Amino acid sequence: MRKSFVAASIAATLALSSLPTLATSTQTNASQQSWQNTLQQAKGQTVYFNAWGGADNINDYIQWAADRIKAEYDVTLKQVKLTDTSDAVNRVLAEKAAGKNSNGSIDLIWLNGENFRAMKDNNLLFGPFSKSLPNYITYVDENARQSLTQDFGTPVDGMESPWGMAQVIFMHDTATLSNPPKSIADLLTYAKAHPGRITYPEPPQFLGSTFLKQALYELTPYRKALSQPADTVDFDKITAPLWAYLDQLHQVAWRNGQTFPSSSEEMVRLLDDQEIDIALSFDISSASVQIDKGNLPDTVRSYVFTGGTIGNTHFLAIPYNSGAKAGAQVIANFMLSPEAQIKKQTPTVWGDLSVLSYAKLPAAEQAKFDALPRGIATLSIEELGQTLPEPHSSWVGALESEWRKRYAQ
Amino acid sequence: MPLKHAKWITGIITLLLIFPIVIGLVGTLLPAFAYFPPLGEYSISLVPWRNLFAQGEFYASLKLTLITGIAAPLLALWFALSLLAWGYQRPFFTKVEAALSPILAIPHAAIAIGLLFLLSPSGWLVRLFSPWLTGFDRPPNWITVQDPYGVSLILALVIKEMPYLLFVMLATMRSIKARESLQVGQALGYSRFTLWRKVLIPQLYPIIRLPIFIVVAFSLTVVDLALVIGPNTPSTLAVTLLRWFNDPDLSMRLMASAGAISLMLVIVVVLAGWELAHLLFSKLTRAERSNGKRFGLTDSLLRLGVVLGLLALLNAFLALALLPIWSLARRWRFPDALPSQWTWDNIDRATPLLIELTSNTLTIALIATLLACVISLVMLETKRRSYSTDHGKQHVFDWLIYVPILLPQIGFLFGLHVLLIYLNLNGDLCAIIALHLMYVLPYVYLTLKGPYLAYEEEYLLQANRLNHRPWRNYVLVKIAMLKPAIFTAFAIGFSVSIAQYLPTLIAGEGRYSTLTTEAVAQAASGDRKQVGSMAMLQAFFPIMVFWLAQFIPPRWTKWRLKFKKAFNTGLIEKDKMC
Repeated sequence: MRKSFVAASIAATLALSSLPTLATSTQTNASQQSWQNTLQQAKGQTVYFNAWGGADNINDYIQWAADRIKAEYDVTLKQVKLTDTSDAVNRVLAEKAAGKNSNGSIDLIWLNGENFRAMKDNNLLFGPFSKSLPNYITYVDENARQSLTQDFGTPVDGMESPWGMAQVIFMHDTATLSNPPKSIADLLTYAKAHPGRITYPEPPQFLGSTFLKQALYELTPYRKALSQPADTVDFDKITAPLWAYLDQLHQVAWRNGQTFPSSSEEMVRLLDDQEIDIALSFDISSASVQIDKGNLPDTVRSYVFTGGTIGNTHFLAIPYNSGAKAGAQVIANFMLSPEAQIKKQTPTVWGDLSVLSYAKLPAAEQAKFDALPRGIATLSIEELGQTLPEPHSSWVGALESEWRKRYAQ
Repeated sequence: MPLKHAKWITGIITLLLIFPIVIGLVGTLLPAFAYFPPLGEYSISLVPWRNLFAQGEFYASLKLTLITGIAAPLLALWFALSLLAWGYQRPFFTKVEAALSPILAIPHAAIAIGLLFLLSPSGWLVRLFSPWLTGFDRPPNWITVQDPYGVSLILALVIKEMPYLLFVMLATMRSIKARESLQVGQALGYSRFTLWRKVLIPQLYPIIRLPIFIVVAFSLTVVDLALVIGPNTPSTLAVTLLRWFNDPDLSMRLMASAGAISLMLVIVVVLAGWELAHLLFSKLTRAERSNGKRFGLTDSLLRLGVVLGLLALLNAFLALALLPIWSLARRWRFPDALPSQWTWDNIDRATPLLIELTSNTLTIALIATLLACVISLVMLETKRRSYSTDHGKQHVFDWLIYVPILLPQIGFLFGLHVLLIYLNLNGDLCAIIALHLMYVLPYVYLTLKGPYLAYEEEYLLQANRLNHRPWRNYVLVKIAMLKPAIFTAFAIGFSVSIAQYLPTLIAGEGRYSTLTTEAVAQAASGDRKQVGSMAMLQAFFPIMVFWLAQFIPPRWTKWRLKFKKAFNTGLIEKDKMC
């Protein structure tokens, strides 16, 4: 025990002090060399990229990236559109069950949180790889956000490469609601005054679970416990205020809390139909994009709670049995390029927040980020305010099953 | 069929069918008893079952499944029989018949979304009367869809199943000599409904028993329809299982497998109960049926069924009509009855995908359905021959064929996927076609079975006596006379193939997208414009095939003769030229 502690601290000291000075030049050469090998290997590979395919604009962005990657690296990217990311996790598991340990059907997968933990814990991932991607080394600042190294409390350890960042936002139609409620408590007050106009997506849909976490974060007096695994703390005591709150909210919620929308997209539809007054999204440009597509009136605006809202990072990972690991790494690296990240943050394209460190970018790229147009209903980084951290990933399952036990039987 | 080794071929096909079924079953059974090597579970135990029975949601879901899964087929059967009794052989009814095919052909998810848009509080019905009559500027907070009792789900199921039953019934009319019975009965002074009730329905039921069973199993296990229009707090058992199977916590899979096994048992119990109820019912009504009265009070039940059935059909058509409107809408807010801005953009955006998706969809559907037709004919021929010697003993194939459609797709297909990986067939077009075949074959076989076995073999024997060319006579006499049934079976098989979602996804691993996988992926986004466009495109081919299945058979002979004549005249003219 003591021995390993000593060894670890020596390693840590070495990593902190000597590596940057002594090893930088040789290591850079070595990593450049190995990256050249990766590029070479990747040539001609076809990468099956399993990504949630429910949003047109995201699919279009992936297609754009596929064209760019084909032209530059001779790697073919094929998107496999998922309705649920866990389908892909299950598929890798099935392949492991059948002993298919090479040339698996999935080469790259878009995930975070529980799905990442499930794959990492069951040794279904290839890696570590992300920390040796050239663009990661050059542009990503791991200290900028906790979610870059802790994916819902699970250490990333280089097993997945960051792709984008998301934060919960709320949308309201200024024509019907000019001064929206800006905290979980105000939301209930509003719902009581306007019965049937407030709702949230049904857990375990991820946005619905996030709403539970947001409410829990604001309501519980034991915030610190949320970063611990849920089964190591007094779950009932910590979550009691949440259930008391929901019991009240459901009485005055949309459809009396007997049914819930299935997704953010359905909430947008309900907002457009004026069935509800406030919609949630994990996509900060959602309102602008939907106005542009004619799915929302142009009087809709986004806002966040004054105390901050929950945010996280989403990643790209490579299954252990992929037959195109080199190609997958080339794609993960391209997705981290300023070019790809700027395009992704463009509101009319996707509007997903960049994971690159602004300070690490060359001036020319910084200018491009500055010049990005914002949709009429998209908040600026400053307006997005404080990001609340995701609780430990075990909370998702615990909250979901308790929610279903209480409200879905 | 003058096939030499029909019995052998049947045996081989049977084995080929048993193999995947056993693997799929074992792949569900073992995890249900906690044996699951990929998660490091090597010991047999009852833990998954204990977990399952400790879940309150299991019982709530089960109750809902029983309500919707029994009510829907009962209503569908009642409405279908009523409509048939009311309209059969009346001139206007051919139009109703033709109108059935779109509903049969369109994937259920699209119908459900259309219904959602028609019936929801912000739906078209409320819009039509708002605000001038209802005073609503905003949609009311009613629960008209996804209601906790599953009424809207039952409606959607009835709309999907009633046309299927009607279609199957119409195909069997010739074999039960409905026209002749009606003529004789009416000459004796029986009213139309009474005749159906006393004479035709009792004859019809045994022939369509199997399609009814399929409908019951479908109602109990459907996933996509229940996802869209069913309640979700709780959801039906199939949807709850799907969620458990998809849970990122992979150990939930064990409990889900136990749930899949219990869903299978539920199907068996419900079907047994259904048969028992039918036995009782026919015993109880026997005296009434033969009392010689020309009218009966219970005729009104059929009359009510006609009204309700027509209402359900009307609902379906309104829902379907809304999809194309949505695909052309840009802005369409409550309470506008029609879009305020129109656009072609939604369709434009879908067009480039269409070519790839269409070729995949058609390749899979055509090959799978053709194979299913050929296999069914071989199997039925073996069965017909053994009919005379074994006095109708059930061939193993007769119950085996139910298994794939009786098993809940979600548990069974996962077990099967492991087999595909072993065979290195995962993500292969052949694997998709094979899985589709497994689901298409039962529908084709059961649709063909009644008419084929009811066929008056004497025609063929006579033809062979006159001119002994067995194959030629088989095709030109028997197959030609069974044309309507074969075309119907093909159309149904084709639409079943097109509507398959999970089999395409699991066998194709997402590498082959079809119109359906794409439409369901889009349906998840809840964008009615996209769904409208996709559903329209997806519906086109099945509708075409259904239309052809009704259009071609009655004209076939005429065309053939015309063609022959033209050909002969051509030959004669050619001779003259020489």
